[in-house]
Amino acid sequence: MSLLAALTRAYDRLPDAPPYGFSTEKIGFCVVLETDGRVAEVIDLRGDDKKRSPRMLLVPQAVKRTAGIAPNFLWDKSAYVLGVTAGEGKRTAEEHAKFREKHLDWLADTTDPGLLALCRFLESWDPASFAAPQWQDEARDQNLVFRLSGEFTFLHDRPAARTLWREIGAEGASDPQICLVTCTPGPVARLHPSIKGVWGAQSSGASLISFNLDAFTSYGHDQGDNAPVSEAAAFAYTTALNRFLEKDSGHRIQIGDASTVFWADAPDDAAEEAENLFSAFFDPAGDEKLAAAKIKDKLDAIRSGTRLTEVAPNLAQGVRFHVLGLAPNAARLSVRFYWTSDFGTLTAHYQRYLQDTEVQPPPRDGWPPLWRYLIELAVQGKRENVPPLIAGEWMRAILTGAPYPLTLLSTTLMRLRADGEVSPLRAAILKSILIRNFKSKEAPVALDPANTNKGYMLGRLFAVYEEVQRAALGGNVNATIKDKFYGAASATPQKVYRTLDAGAQNHFSKLRKQSPGRAVNLEKLLTAITDLMEPGNDPYPASLTAAEQALFGLGYYHQRSDFFRKHDDKTPEVTE
Amino acid sequence: MAYGIRLHVWGQHALFTRPELKVERVSYDVMTPSAARGVLEAVHWKPAIRWEIDRIHVLEPIRFQSIRRNEVGHKAPAGTIKRAMNRGDLEGVQLLVDEDRQQRASTVLVAPRYVIEAHFTLTARADVSDSEGKHLDIFNRRAARGQCFHQPCLGTREFAAHFELIEPGAALPARNPAAETADLGFGTPRDLGYMLWDIDHAAPGRPSLLFRAGLRDGVMEVPAPGSPEVKR
Repeated sequence: MSLLAALTRAYDRLPDAPPYGFSTEKIGFCVVLETDGRVAEVIDLRGDDKKRSPRMLLVPQAVKRTAGIAPNFLWDKSAYVLGVTAGEGKRTAEEHAKFREKHLDWLADTTDPGLLALCRFLESWDPASFAAPQWQDEARDQNLVFRLSGEFTFLHDRPAARTLWREIGAEGASDPQICLVTCTPGPVARLHPSIKGVWGAQSSGASLISFNLDAFTSYGHDQGDNAPVSEAAAFAYTTALNRFLEKDSGHRIQIGDASTVFWADAPDDAAEEAENLFSAFFDPAGDEKLAAAKIKDKLDAIRSGTRLTEVAPNLAQGVRFHVLGLAPNAARLSVRFYWTSDFGTLTAHYQRYLQDTEVQPPPRDGWPPLWRYLIELAVQGKRENVPPLIAGEWMRAILTGAPYPLTLLSTTLMRLRADGEVSPLRAAILKSILIRNFKSKEAPVALDPANTNKGYMLGRLFAVYEEVQRAALGGNVNATIKDKFYGAASATPQKVYRTLDAGAQNHFSKLRKQSPGRAVNLEKLLTAITDLMEPGNDPYPASLTAAEQALFGLGYYHQRSDFFRKHDDKTPEVTE
Repeated sequence: MAYGIRLHVWGQHALFTRPELKVERVSYDVMTPSAARGVLEAVHWKPAIRWEIDRIHVLEPIRFQSIRRNEVGHKAPAGTIKRAMNRGDLEGVQLLVDEDRQQRASTVLVAPRYVIEAHFTLTARADVSDSEGKHLDIFNRRAARGQCFHQPCLGTREFAAHFELIEPGAALPARNPAAETADLGFGTPRDLGYMLWDIDHAAPGRPSLLFRAGLRDGVMEVPAPGSPEVKR
């Protein structure tokens, strides 16, 4: 099933989906009209909260405004409805004129008293009469709707308005063609409704399907005719997608620059449970949230490697799961990844990802969310510096169980060379790439003293040199050998190891005077590592491959954490 | 299938663009019939024959990768070029890349490998000198030698296709055992949704024709032209 078809199906499952041709919009005020078009009163519809957030009302679907002036049907912002804005508004007068003209045109044949009242109002309205006490200043730039005095339904909810809207709604569509989503003939959407809420895209919304430059068009087709999607299908997929992209919809997580939405095709309870589990997989929520969703035990069981058929048999079979990653590119949206399969497969792939990234000692807070890993790849650890594409590619690889993108390795190595910070997260990334892409059996979870891979041994050796320096000179060295040599040692060992060795001898001679026991211990460790090296096999090669550099990082991480662990073991003895 | 041919095609990448996602391109999961027709036409085509794709075998797992490239936003207008030709100088025909750059992402297939099963029929433009045997022989000879009019491609020009004729009676190339998963319709058939069958270049407005694509044991059956499965 294609992406659009899946979203169209998801629309049918939405619990309170707006009907075709309508959308939920933020409305601030309601203008109450007398039948002769005079304004009876203006009602504030906004909530009581601090931000006075506007009420979400179901109104005729907003038109797509780009550069042109186009009014909405029976509602709009104050510039269109009244010709009034808070700012300068160069085209306010034009916008209001258009609103008036269009509505008088649309409503020309109506006999409905409510719609006639609007006609009278538009004919007689003068923007200058926008004044207190009737009009509050806060109504500027809010969206306005209308109501007839003495009645409770809004003008756009009147049956006459709804009938009229159905006729108007079909105006913009082009000739009937076969729809590539539903495969039934119907009027084709020229411009698709905007998708809002994608991180980094324009706040007014961006398009998933658009043909805004002529290099994108084929066979002389214009706009939506390039990919015939019926009005109904276009409405359905955008409504579903917009709903999923809303904040706190329970259907979205942010992974790098990819706004990721997910949904399940299943009976309601199972779907919700699967969605909760998925969001906890990649963006662990607080304990309360997990408890509220009643998934804590199941999540723990899945993380410890129990098969889904045992944890939640209802999810293992027949729950189709969809994951879609969207990222902005110029004014368009681009699909970073779209994955669909059943939830059992997804869980198995997630467990494999956990297994691959396992390192000893583990990161401090257990199950770091994916974005924490991604930040390790960003310059200065800033979220906006995460290299684009990597997040999406990586996520795709995790979901499909495929090899990881090799750019992940090169980026991690580049960050390591730049700042030399071998964090548990970076070690985990290195290890998982070694296992997945290089089928490396030499990438151990914890310190492996018998490992004879060159990269791994050199990494350990480097950690020992650093420890010797620390033992001799204390922790307050301005630039340690790690700061100075990590990059060179991991990439071109031959150039630096002789220098390091010479330096270490000086440190040893100092250390022997201060604490001879520690010097002996470190020297033993050093020989234990160098004994593993075979002189014939060139222990200090001119360069290391990317995979060996990854093992270097892992070896360094293991050996160095080992010092800290031993250190921890000793402290109680001292205090006794 | 008396005049059937089978052609083994493969390449590093492929991009069978979905029409709805063709700006930020995303590929279909499987080669489309029209892309397969394009490959065959690169090897041998004459106005007298029309290629019809019967089925497509998928031999490798379906894998995707995203790439980002710099492209331009506009086409060179045919009118400008025509005027320049009439005028005899090149004033104003250039397309300046740095002023019209568009960065676009493509989600492409990685290391695809297919077997195309197809046959051809004679069209109204065939005359007495055309016979099915003749064109079949020409195709088989050319394909076996690796000859083509232009380099065939997997969806878009930048992804060149390698091809090899499978002689009549010879066995199909082996499928990668890793591909035999539910993803390719092993076990249960996999629904691929509606796929572009071809574009009707003869009809006004050049509408798209669609069909419901599905994979069963790694094989996608393609409906015959004019059959009710081809929706227009």
